[in-house]
Amino acid sequence: MQRIPIKYAVPGMKLEKEAVTPEGQVLCGPDSELTAELIERLKKQGVTVLTVQGRPVVLPGDKSLGTRLKELEHRFSKVNNDPVLKAIKKLIAEFWIVQERGPEAVASAKRTGGQN
Amino acid sequence: MTREELISRLDNVQSLPTIPPIVSRLNEMVQDEDTTAARLGKVIEKDQVLTAKLLKMVNSSFYGFPQRISTINNALVLLGFNVIKTLIVTSSIFEVMQASDIRLFEHSLGCATAAGIIARRRGIKNPEEVSTAGLIHDLGKIVLRAELPKEYDRILANSRERELPVRDVELEIVGMTHSEIGGILATQWNLPDSLVIPVKYHHRPAKCKDHQEITAIIHFSDILIRAVGFGSGGDPWVPPLDHKAWDIIKFGKSDAREILEELDEKLAELANFTGEIDQEQ
Ligand SMILES: [Fe+2]
Ligand SMILES: [Fe+2]
Repeated sequence: MQRIPIKYAVPGMKLEKEAVTPEGQVLCGPDSELTAELIERLKKQGVTVLTVQGRPVVLPGDKSLGTRLKELEHRFSKVNNDPVLKAIKKLIAEFWIVQERGPEAVASAKRTGGQN
Repeated sequence: MTREELISRLDNVQSLPTIPPIVSRLNEMVQDEDTTAARLGKVIEKDQVLTAKLLKMVNSSFYGFPQRISTINNALVLLGFNVIKTLIVTSSIFEVMQASDIRLFEHSLGCATAAGIIARRRGIKNPEEVSTAGLIHDLGKIVLRAELPKEYDRILANSRERELPVRDVELEIVGMTHSEIGGILATQWNLPDSLVIPVKYHHRPAKCKDHQEITAIIHFSDILIRAVGFGSGGDPWVPPLDHKAWDIIKFGKSDAREILEELDEKLAELANFTGEIDQEQ
């Protein structure tokens, strides 16, 4: 799944989560397929962000999962002796892996004894 | 530059926009017990530019109100005077920050977001105040940058070359860290202790005697937002965790997962707010 600003939405994308107005009103549910008309209507209702299935858009500043994990490691390089922070680092890595590849990816990494 | 020189310099900051005169008027009004939110709201709303700015801030996703706040009166009732006052006092600083250091601006908004999430989960009475403390926690960095640009450049260059955290280099070059500088300014501006103390102690939360919970939340939120890599506080490293502060707010893995999920969602909305995506198109 990927969260995208609505201006990146194109017809054919499928929603992963419902589209919600800033007031919290649900406009359409998960699995809805976007059409040009629907996108316009959502914009008019004030929707700014959509959660869509897969990872269809490369946003400015988007980095690959590998790069992000490497940078995560670097950011923690001065605090690796702290067990709490180490646990947080691991949870962030897992969160990103699940987001990108689905829950199975973390489970299989654990089975094969990978670092995550 | 010695500590003393810097302190006297901070008494008379020239480089930043001055605090709008409306603030002292509002402060006076609040002293008066008969003052209602409606009356305060009327005074603020006379200034249309300020009103627009305030409404934009209070409606941004880090405060996380489900419905739109459309009047200052409403904002005062929902967020409280302390928050509105702080937003008024710091509004011009955030304009400077947004224009001069968008990455620090993002870091601040991100910290505010994380702090609000944690405060709400802990059932704190006024979580918006905690978000606001997160928003202004690195205020001292903007003051340093604006008031002592040469020293600020040296601090960043030193941090990069010697791979040292910015905080350590600040102490070396100007004799004070941004947290202390922020604390001094926030005190000068008569911000309430619930905001001054987290600013002042966000890197040394074990040292504060009051408002320990808020301070612990800001300390941790600063760490968390750096950990996920949203915005930049000047250097890339996650700061050390103070375990006395962590003991106050600690939580387990399943809570942590929920916090990460909620943070990710809110940060995606923030990207719209900061306008970064618009600029790059
Ligand atoms: Fe800081
Ligand atoms: Fe910070």
